[in-house]
Amino acid sequence: MIEKEVEIINNAGMHTRPASSIVKIAAKYKADFFISRDNFEVNGKSIIGVMTLAAEKGSKLMLKFEGEDEAQLAEEMVDFFAKGFGEL
Amino acid sequence: MRNFSDIKEIKKESITVEFFYEECRDRFKLSKLSPSPINPEKLIVDKDIHRPGLALAGYVDLFTYNRVQVFGNTEMKYLNQLPHEKRVETLTRFFSFNVPCVIITNDNSPQEELAYLAEKTSTPLFITPYPTTRFAYFITDFLDDQFAIQAAIHGSFIDVYGVGLLFAGKSGIGKSEIALDLVERGHRLVADDIVMVLKKGESVLMGAGTSLTKNFMEIRGLGIIDVRSIFGIRAIRYQKRVEVIVELEDWDKNKAYERTGLDSRNISLLGIDIEHVTLPIFPGKNITVIAEVIALNYLCKHYGYNAAMKFQQNLDAKIKSNIAQKKTNGLDRSIEYFEHDFE
Repeated sequence: MIEKEVEIINNAGMHTRPASSIVKIAAKYKADFFISRDNFEVNGKSIIGVMTLAAEKGSKLMLKFEGEDEAQLAEEMVDFFAKGFGEL
Repeated sequence: MRNFSDIKEIKKESITVEFFYEECRDRFKLSKLSPSPINPEKLIVDKDIHRPGLALAGYVDLFTYNRVQVFGNTEMKYLNQLPHEKRVETLTRFFSFNVPCVIITNDNSPQEELAYLAEKTSTPLFITPYPTTRFAYFITDFLDDQFAIQAAIHGSFIDVYGVGLLFAGKSGIGKSEIALDLVERGHRLVADDIVMVLKKGESVLMGAGTSLTKNFMEIRGLGIIDVRSIFGIRAIRYQKRVEVIVELEDWDKNKAYERTGLDSRNISLLGIDIEHVTLPIFPGKNITVIAEVIALNYLCKHYGYNAAMKFQQNLDAKIKSNIAQKKTNGLDRSIEYFEHDFE
């Protein structure tokens, strides 16, 4: 299992389009993917779940990856957060 | 996404005046004045009609003689005020062109010379009680339809809650089975296997079955069935506007499918933009119910409510209020507190 903490850095936060991209990235991998915020955990492959977090700029999230290709998924996902979902 | 651009377009080159009269006689109160039967070689090749005022007056340079010629009040009054010799000369010149037929509007009675020369040149002569503009409106729509661009598409076409859903996808994926399931649930079959689509005007696509296959469908392992004889009149429909194309394909785990529905994707069919949904199918997925939801969601959007858009607005508002209220998470119960609610 891999756990990584990420911060939301784009102005609009984790709104609909980034959420859609997150689940699309996650769907490419076999590994399970969870996002948690203040002990609330959602399945990162469910778009409604990801959007429910309503993560604004500056909020910190814990990403959890578990499964055979967890390392590759973790790398791509952390990178996507680090790029501010391409909205910087 | 499938490409419909390689579809063969079909367009009628001509219709016979005989066919035109058969179809329009009752619809547009058309009566034949010519005593002899309609010359079967007379063809209509153009969807437009023509009022030959200028041609009668002598200017025949750009005379579109191959169109249906409509004699309104102007033409008839012009001919009436001419002396006999001049009238013969004028009409002889007019009928020297191979006109498909002449239609007199407003129940104006034809001059002897007009009736005689039409008969002599075996040009069918018709009459209608409708005023010219009104008649032109009817006939133009009829001819537009007859000369519209058409194409034959492989798919199943069903009216689901009044929304025309055209199911496309490779052979054997289960289009007919979905159509049958929808019919069983009270929806109406327009066509199965071969759907004739027709471009109506600039923005409407109409779909219908073929004269041979309408009401019939093939179910693998069962053979050919007649939907009308099994389910009755409520299960079929002549034609329907094509509103959504539902593309069925085997689920591909490497392909990214639409998740939010924010970007409605359109596909061009005969030059008309039609909403396009790609549905991955796998065992246990109930496509019939999803098809009904596609239709109902289409209606919601048509009536001004877009669920994906509404959700997006709610989320943006939530993110903003998180910042304003310095909240650390957006997870709240949909209702915070119902007093003494134990149910």
